[in-house]
Amino acid sequence: MAEVKIAAEITASVWQIQARPGDQLAEGDTVMLLESMKMEIPVTAPQAGRIAAVLVAEGDQVEEGQAVALLEA
Amino acid sequence: MPDTIPNPVTDWQPELDELRRREAMAQEMGGPDKVRRQHDAGRLTVRERVAKLADPGSFHEIGAIAGRAEYDETANLRRLTPSNCVFGRATLGGRPVVLVGDDFTVRGGSADATIREKPLMAERMANEFRLPIIRIIEGSGGGGSVKTIETTGRANLPGGVGGTGLFNYTTLNLSAVPVVGLGLGSVAGLGAARLASTHYSVMTKETAAMFVAGPPVVARLGQNLDKKALGGWEIQTRSGAVDHAVDSEDEAFECARRFLSYLPASVHDLPPDLPCDDDPGRREDSLFSIVPRDRRRVYQMRRIIEAVVDRGSFFEQGRMFGRSLITGFARFGGRAVALMASDPYFYGGSWTADTCQKVVRFLDMAETFHLPVVYLVDCPGFMIGLEAERAATIRHGVRAMAAMNQTTMPWCSIIIRNAFGVAGAAHQPAGRLSLRYAWLSARWGSLPLEGGIEAAYRAEIEAAPDPAQKLREIEDLLNQLRSPFRTAETFWVEEIIDPRETRRLLCDFAQLAAPLRMPQPGRLQMRP
Repeated sequence: MAEVKIAAEITASVWQIQARPGDQLAEGDTVMLLESMKMEIPVTAPQAGRIAAVLVAEGDQVEEGQAVALLEA
Repeated sequence: MPDTIPNPVTDWQPELDELRRREAMAQEMGGPDKVRRQHDAGRLTVRERVAKLADPGSFHEIGAIAGRAEYDETANLRRLTPSNCVFGRATLGGRPVVLVGDDFTVRGGSADATIREKPLMAERMANEFRLPIIRIIEGSGGGGSVKTIETTGRANLPGGVGGTGLFNYTTLNLSAVPVVGLGLGSVAGLGAARLASTHYSVMTKETAAMFVAGPPVVARLGQNLDKKALGGWEIQTRSGAVDHAVDSEDEAFECARRFLSYLPASVHDLPPDLPCDDDPGRREDSLFSIVPRDRRRVYQMRRIIEAVVDRGSFFEQGRMFGRSLITGFARFGGRAVALMASDPYFYGGSWTADTCQKVVRFLDMAETFHLPVVYLVDCPGFMIGLEAERAATIRHGVRAMAAMNQTTMPWCSIIIRNAFGVAGAAHQPAGRLSLRYAWLSARWGSLPLEGGIEAAYRAEIEAAPDPAQKLREIEDLLNQLRSPFRTAETFWVEEIIDPRETRRLLCDFAQLAAPLRMPQPGRLQMRP
């Protein structure tokens, strides 16, 4: 079973975490919402799998390319 | 007199045999071992690349037998090692092009085995015969190496006397003919320059890397990086140095063919029209609800693009760079256009410094090759914040505005949602007439209300007994006043449309634009 890094595509703040460790996600499911330029930007699962870890908390600032969650796929 | 004396040779068969022998040696490239190593590394040889890229049987090689010859003591040819530059003419989809490729099996594609005039003639042929050129690059692309000092007994002055031709054409051809670069191995030095100095560049993900100088040189800076970490596809496509990355060389060839299908052979020609069986009046119902009423929620701009263009005709360029703006080519009623569209998934569609650089290059290309421009607008402004200021976003932004204002190609903007601030103003060229339509979801202003109210009504809000309540009251009032219909009342916007009418109007635009394109060089001299 491979561990897949889910990365933020933009520099933003973490607005709302929607997936918890252990959750089973399909490809494209929303993991969390980031906020940038007053917009809610979804971070989605790149493939189906189980959330192994969420690496950030709501309110955190994240950088482009930063891992925000790990997926067991 | 004996009757065994052979008849004297009266034709040129010996010379023809010699020619064929030399050509056969050239076909062997760097020899079986080097070819095997190339294959073992997952890469094709330059001759296999040319054969796969060109229409079958269409490649006409020039200078195949140029190379380094070895003779025996009686002056008979023992061996010919060909130059590591293979070039010639071919057709792609029936259209003539120039192909020029590095042969990595001969001295790793380095200058040691290059005959300088070969890549130079390829570039010159493209320029003077007005043909697109595809550079297949692996190695230093003919650039110098340290070993050259030993083999030639002197150091090379880059751009020295008699040595500026290739440097000249590396950029000059951008203003003359379509230039495609395919990076299909390790690419460094002049090779990297020739890959970056193109209208469209592609690299393979696993077998290619591009850098100014490779890992051994960079290690002297204390940076111990392998090729991929230094100049792999993720680095180079995100930096904007390379447009696209693919899994296989076959895909790279297909990208090259597809890219060229939208462009004329040169600035002296017009982009080719294709037959279209997609109804120009097709209405896509999905467009009526694709933009969320909740202004904080995003939507997939690429779905809008796919819904309005001729089916399957969108070809994106530079997806990984300046990602708040999608750029690419598409067709409306069979006519090619340059298409820009905001992507709200990236900073809400704000123009970052990278986005602005992307705009400049893309519009310069559209202008160079006579492509009308379609822009699907959702731009809340330039990117803001400390990092944006450090990146000189505003200077890159006004440069993008200048590029837009300097275009002469017909232009049509569809305002999908936001058009705010200076970047919002940059949705069509200033100073000339363009077509413009606004969707029902469109909204605009000098500054978004969020944050803008606090700035403009600070004294009033602070003086209120309940500042938060006051803020809401002002926001409600302004939201009523900024309806796009009020803007249309005063003719600040020409037309508000049902989104489902978009395709019909853009096909109409492409038809109106067609006779305005002129098959002649413009004033613009494009830079990489």
